[in-house]
Amino acid sequence: MVSQNRRRLLVVFLTSLIVFEMVAYVTTTPRPREQFFQLYVLGANRLLSDYYPNNDPNIGVGDLVRWHVGVTDSMGSVQLVVIRIKLANQTIRPPDDLQAQPSPAPLVTEFRRFIQDNETWEMPFFWQIVNADMPEGSTRILEMQINNETHQVPGLTALDGHNFRVILELWTWEPQSETLQFGWSSGNERRVAWLQVWFNMTSSARQ
Amino acid sequence: MIAASQPSETLQPRLSKALVLVRQAEAAGATHEETAGLVLLLNKALQLDEQATGAPASDGQRKAELLAQADETLGRVETEAGQLEVIAASRTFNNSLFAYLSAGILAIVSTLAFVLGVSFSRRYRIKRTFQMRVFRK
Repeated sequence: MVSQNRRRLLVVFLTSLIVFEMVAYVTTTPRPREQFFQLYVLGANRLLSDYYPNNDPNIGVGDLVRWHVGVTDSMGSVQLVVIRIKLANQTIRPPDDLQAQPSPAPLVTEFRRFIQDNETWEMPFFWQIVNADMPEGSTRILEMQINNETHQVPGLTALDGHNFRVILELWTWEPQSETLQFGWSSGNERRVAWLQVWFNMTSSARQ
Repeated sequence: MIAASQPSETLQPRLSKALVLVRQAEAAGATHEETAGLVLLLNKALQLDEQATGAPASDGQRKAELLAQADETLGRVETEAGQLEVIAASRTFNNSLFAYLSAGILAIVSTLAFVLGVSFSRRYRIKRTFQMRVFRK
């Protein structure tokens, strides 16, 4: 009778020990989660609208375009992120999602910052075309001003000024290789985040 | 806000080392509030690097000063991240130890509760048995 009681007690103790230790393990072990970044562009009022002055994507020289660009770090660690701003026309390739290749479009400028896990870095991105010419029925952008800093653009042309694009690419710093990489590594996968916003700069807009 | 090319070559190894140390502190269990200060310093170093890159080539002394400041800031990040990692690791270990020991104590308490429950139940049954009355039909 006594040994039966002891055996029962032992069973109760071991069962509750296993249950409570499992609870302790679950609460103290960090759960694996998906690692990713979010990249977004908002319009003048920080909404998904009003991307162009007077809602007209036909932009003239000196028209100030007000956007807000943001990145959210959900990688589970501090990251050095770089947003590269590129200007392209219709024929230049956009970034390749499958091969994780950036666009060959000319780089205009870039913005860098360290951000914490779950932190969103949002910055104003106010830009305007400050210098362009029109050789033979096409429009060529020569200078662009971003956040009051003027940047040279290596002569990007589009037929009658149609279908220019601002491409925003997310790059991250890889401490092991000490290089900037397009996108980020998530396990064995390479992932990328990029955006493009189209605009025109036709002759009617320039007058 | 910074608009420049890659971090300057002299700064790249320090920057990478500082970033790795901050990540190690995070992995050891440092909180967001604890690493926020280090991220501020990292951004300050980036800003100094950008100022050094933007400084005119003729102003070599100013450039060197800015790079030295950035280097010093990264050195501070490395030191503080190292200290933070030790503190965070010790705290995480203590928390885990407390959790597992608490689980053991809870198991003992629940076993004692079971013993008490069984004992009360037996006493109750014995009491009920002795309280029984026999009636002749």
